[in-house]
Amino acid sequence: MRLAASLGACLALGAAWLRVVCAGSAMGDRLLVLVPTAEAAGGYSELLGSLAERGFDVSVRAASNSSVALHVDGRRQYDHAVLLAPAAKRLGAALTAHSFVRFVDDGGNLVVVGSSDMSDQSRKLAAQFGVVFEKHGSRVVDHSHHLVTDGTGDHAVVAASRLAAVPAVLSPQLLEAPGTVYFRGIGHRYDPSNPLLTPALTGAPTTYSDLSGDEVLSGRQLGLVSVFQTRRNARVAFSGSADLFSDAFMRTTQSRNRQLVHDITQWTFQEKAVLREVARRHYLAATGMQPEHYRVSNDMVYEIDLSVYYDDAWRPYEADDVQFEAIMLDPYIRTTLNRTRSSGPAATYRGDIRLPDRYGTFTFRVNYKRTGLANVDVKDTVAIWPLRHDEYPRFLSAAYPYYTGSFVMMVGFLALCAAWLWSAEPSKPVTQAKPATQVKPATQAKPATQAKPATQAKHTAKSKPKSS
Amino acid sequence: MAAATHILAGLARDYAAVTPQRLKVIDTYMVFCVAVGLIQLAYCVLAGSFPYNAFLAGFGSAVACFVFAASLRMKTNPKNAGQFAGPPEAAFAEFVFCHIALHFVVSHFLG
Repeated sequence: MRLAASLGACLALGAAWLRVVCAGSAMGDRLLVLVPTAEAAGGYSELLGSLAERGFDVSVRAASNSSVALHVDGRRQYDHAVLLAPAAKRLGAALTAHSFVRFVDDGGNLVVVGSSDMSDQSRKLAAQFGVVFEKHGSRVVDHSHHLVTDGTGDHAVVAASRLAAVPAVLSPQLLEAPGTVYFRGIGHRYDPSNPLLTPALTGAPTTYSDLSGDEVLSGRQLGLVSVFQTRRNARVAFSGSADLFSDAFMRTTQSRNRQLVHDITQWTFQEKAVLREVARRHYLAATGMQPEHYRVSNDMVYEIDLSVYYDDAWRPYEADDVQFEAIMLDPYIRTTLNRTRSSGPAATYRGDIRLPDRYGTFTFRVNYKRTGLANVDVKDTVAIWPLRHDEYPRFLSAAYPYYTGSFVMMVGFLALCAAWLWSAEPSKPVTQAKPATQVKPATQAKPATQAKPATQAKHTAKSKPKSS
Repeated sequence: MAAATHILAGLARDYAAVTPQRLKVIDTYMVFCVAVGLIQLAYCVLAGSFPYNAFLAGFGSAVACFVFAASLRMKTNPKNAGQFAGPPEAAFAEFVFCHIALHFVVSHFLG
């Protein structure tokens, strides 16, 4: 305990002047490190020194310390936690698997390490995130790739090199660096179809987990280090080996442990690959204003500003796969936005979009989820109205034949009236019913009425005798 | 074949000789209606029914005029005189009234 206190004081002192240089995490800098005993903290001085140097306010506590609580009065006490005590049977009273899950739900970031003799509690905690550690006492073994010292080797210290190519999590320096990652501990199963879980380090084909039972866990299925990001962007890292983080392994020649631990902790503690939406706009292309509601088939513009955090600053996020969706139950539009400018801390993505010819309540959504990057999922609900009765286009050239047809029928009707009224019943071979020529007389319908009685008399006189 | 042409020629001769002048006028008008209707229908099939209201107005106008003319022809045919009450002039007045109403509706529907 005394050692922890002195170490804490020393780290705090170091952090005080280093914080000016490094801003550290995008989220907060309260970091809790739980070690098996206060003395054990000495074995992780490289890790703790690095964390303090990066600006974290590191509190090192023994795992059994019952005064440590992640939440006090419902408020999260730490932004990040490292559970470096895999074998501790008894954690502090307030530290249960449930309390860690709640910590992550509340936005806290967590590193969980395991070992061959890891406790049920850590195992239960990992299972909550889909990371299933192997049976108690099992070890990861590789007879081809292992640490060789003085001609003899311990086959349980695996020299792992199967790093996943996830640039958001593992830096290019790590992927290109020579050497291997030394790992002594327990392997885990993971579900490769789980979109939230990404294996960062897996076994080589010759690596296997002993005591696996019937189905031997080996190769790519054997997870050594995995990272998990919740839907609310809290991050959790799992390592089956506590020694991976130890000074001893970091200082071994040809070791990439230091860089791996650096990358994993940087990612987990939100020091990089933190993506966020700074602002978003949508407006009519014609006016440049955001209307209260759109009309069907409007031309509009959607813009979103994205920013990514790394190296202690928000910078423009540059990619070519940011997509926009206009959704009403189904996506009616899904289109890739173009990056128009990257100025200051944000890059602007823009889409010139013609809305669908469909009215209703639509959701404009940018749902950007990429492995290792924080999720961006923004939604705006907008109304798209139909055209008003007087907003439709009129007198279209395509409809001219119909207009002509209708007017021709009117003219034809007038012509028929004229022909009817002026037709001479007795076989008088006058040409009639030529609509074009007889239009004009039809307008003089009034004089025709005088003719009516005459024709009527004639007609009735003719038809009457027939009917009687 | 010869019989068919003979029959058709006889039909045409009888039509010219027997049918009253006014019915011939109405027949001409009905043929005209069919022609206007068919042209619009052909245009619709070829160019698409996009301003559908305009198509309905134009085509419906031709069809309705044909129907009115058929009605007028029935009522004014001297051979049908026993079946319809009222003089042919009343039928003509109905015909005119219906047409006015029709073209009123059609012109509203066109735009």
